[in-house]
Amino acid sequence: MFGALLYLRLTSLRNLVVTRLRRLRQPKYLVGALVGAAYFYLMFFRRAMGARAAAHAGPLAAGLPDDVRVMLASIGSLVLLIIVALGWILPDQRAGLTFTEAEIAFLFPAPVRRRTLIYYKLLNSQLTILFTAGVFTLFSRGGSSLIGGNAWIHWAGWWVILATLNLHFMGAAFVITRLMDNGITPWRRRFTVLGLIGLVVGAIVVWMWRDLRAPQAADLVNFHTTAAYLNTLLASGPIPWLLLPGRLVVGPMLAADGPDFLRALGPALLVFAAHFVWVLRSEVSFEDASLAKSEKRAAHVAAVREGNWRAARGALKARPGPFRLAPSGPPEVAFLWKNLLSTFPLFRPRTFVVLVVAIIGVGQWLDFDPDRRAALPALAICALIAAGYILFLGPQLARQDLRSDLGNADILKTYPLRGWQVVLGELLTPVAILTAALWLALLTLLVAFPPGRTPWLTPGLMLTIVAGLVPIIPAVCALQLLVPNAATLLFPAWMQSMRNRSERGIELLGQRLIFIAGQLLVVLLALLPAALGAAAMIFATQWLIGLVAAVALAAAGTLAILVGEVAVGLWWLGQRFEHFDLSAELRP
Amino acid sequence: MIEVAGLTKRYGTFTAVHDLSFTVRPGEVLGLVGPNGAGKTTTLRCLAGIIPATAGLCRLAGHDVAADPVAAKRTLAFFPDEPRLFDYLTVRQHLAFVARIYGVANHEALAEPLLAELEIADKADQLPGELSRGMKQKLAIACGLLHSPQVLFFDEPLTGLDPLGIRRMKDSILVRARAGATIVLSSHLLHLLEEVCSHVLILKQGEKIADGTLADVSARFSRGEAGVSLEEIFLRATGGAAPVES
Repeated sequence: MFGALLYLRLTSLRNLVVTRLRRLRQPKYLVGALVGAAYFYLMFFRRAMGARAAAHAGPLAAGLPDDVRVMLASIGSLVLLIIVALGWILPDQRAGLTFTEAEIAFLFPAPVRRRTLIYYKLLNSQLTILFTAGVFTLFSRGGSSLIGGNAWIHWAGWWVILATLNLHFMGAAFVITRLMDNGITPWRRRFTVLGLIGLVVGAIVVWMWRDLRAPQAADLVNFHTTAAYLNTLLASGPIPWLLLPGRLVVGPMLAADGPDFLRALGPALLVFAAHFVWVLRSEVSFEDASLAKSEKRAAHVAAVREGNWRAARGALKARPGPFRLAPSGPPEVAFLWKNLLSTFPLFRPRTFVVLVVAIIGVGQWLDFDPDRRAALPALAICALIAAGYILFLGPQLARQDLRSDLGNADILKTYPLRGWQVVLGELLTPVAILTAALWLALLTLLVAFPPGRTPWLTPGLMLTIVAGLVPIIPAVCALQLLVPNAATLLFPAWMQSMRNRSERGIELLGQRLIFIAGQLLVVLLALLPAALGAAAMIFATQWLIGLVAAVALAAAGTLAILVGEVAVGLWWLGQRFEHFDLSAELRP
Repeated sequence: MIEVAGLTKRYGTFTAVHDLSFTVRPGEVLGLVGPNGAGKTTTLRCLAGIIPATAGLCRLAGHDVAADPVAAKRTLAFFPDEPRLFDYLTVRQHLAFVARIYGVANHEALAEPLLAELEIADKADQLPGELSRGMKQKLAIACGLLHSPQVLFFDEPLTGLDPLGIRRMKDSILVRARAGATIVLSSHLLHLLEEVCSHVLILKQGEKIADGTLADVSARFSRGEAGVSLEEIFLRATGGAAPVES
């Protein structure tokens, strides 16, 4: 029977790989794969290869000094202990192994022993663990010149750690299920576990207080003296016994070379084997919980595929509308109302008012005292960083527009609205969110730089700049948001695959990078006429009408150009929406 | 009134609907039938203005769907086979949203009896995720009926409904037709057509095989036999039946 399950797993894996390779025949995936590969090379492999070369050439080839390695093993062990403790404290449901709906439909009614299903799940989880270990290796290899070892040692070491943790969580879940079956509630278990942890920690603290000396200045002179003190501490009394299992598990990961790794691997595999036997001997019914878990997972995957992140997090709750929607008036406002309901409850006009009051209050409080006033530039820098972040990444984060409503295109197209009205309505929510955030950043800057503090920035000029920026900001946001929405309508198949964040792969990463770069380029090109026009106007008119009036004129001109661009974009996208047929676009 | 003349829809080189013409008058219920891939849903989507026709004319209540889509869409309601709802809007909020889109001033007064008729008044504050498949269907219907459309398109309207829901849906279609609505529905359930439709249009590979009243179409394909079922007629019309020995 296990042979059939192995066949299922291996065939599924082979088909997945073949499908991924086959789709590289499509240029969008091939280009995406190339860009993704280049990104990985530049971000990880080049660095790792550089580090290896440096390690071979330099004095650090031998890896870490022993004292630091011992300290790292102890710290790693402590971290594992904390993770394991959380595995006993946090769960509040019965053990449920995660199966897909198809696996449940085929395997649960089949004459398969429960133990075989556990084998199958363990085998399945190894693929994910191997992949995760590979990703961790990319990061840990960054410091390989310090830690020592090579990529294979890191990968195998990470696999030992993750696979043992996986087994421990499974075993703990089975024990927790048995406790719940015996009437022990999650809270009673938590109190018991926390009580035991409290007792152990308390005993260690008392022992340390009585038997250990406090660190002296000489212990903290440099890294090595600190490591030596910590190693003495962690090797004293009951602590090494407490940390022993964890140290055995992290041992292979910290091995400096092959022989060292093999020496550390034996004890680590013993811990792994003990866990394996523990899990297999647990006779616990997991079918009901697995069924519930798989349904939840299927709903999550469906929600993610639709780009519905609130539903994916299971956070959907009925709540009142963001404002009263009158039955008459511009229909575009209905989209704003609808899409605001799809965002976080905090995105409300009253939140904006509260934040305005808070920013002004904090600014006044900082400005009131000369000592505190020194913090104002830092506040301004934070506001500038936030504004930059919102400007460049905001359109990728605020997606309550056509990107999340494309699945409802059939219904939207039956509404008695022109295409541009639907597009405008869909854009209103992300524009409102990003505009509010940028206005708050602008207010923070204004609070951090009160008029009159900077000689050239007169109150009149500052107020003119702010008054000019206030209407320009929503126009810029709208312009930016037109780009991803245009991409959604122009390349729906591409966006469909990018939208599906549950789908992973180097080619999809590359596609996303290409899209972000493309969006940046298009927005910069669209902003260029407005920026050039504004600069020309200020340059040409400030001698005649003064700087303040010239800035005001330039702001008005900029706004006119941006509004014109947005209007053209809306009209064009509206036309595209009216002739849009998702079913035709997604035909192979 | 629905007037269709020479409707054609192509996807590249593939023709989904070819030169389709028919008329449905107020009070009539036209059943659109045909094998899988016959072009039923494509026809409905063209009529509802969801996808543009490649060629031909579609007029709803006198408005050309291509030339004056807004006026045409104001008269119609389209009910897809799978109810399309907004996950984060409650039943009541769906109606408020649709009312604003169509400018239904007294929507609250209209919504209450509609929800009661569809038996979802007690679910008014629930999200679609909390509703059964049938309840979702009812909500989609409530949204579609709120603006009192003159033309109704149903794509497989009975999918997912329980026997009582099916009965209510049939009654609801007949009530709207008697009130003067023009209705087109597509379905594979031939007994539904027999009970609800006054007219039938049989499609195969995008082309019209036959249309007319049920009696007309039956007479054409019964070959003089009495008591031939609609199922048999459908199979004969679409070439799916074994040849009848004479």
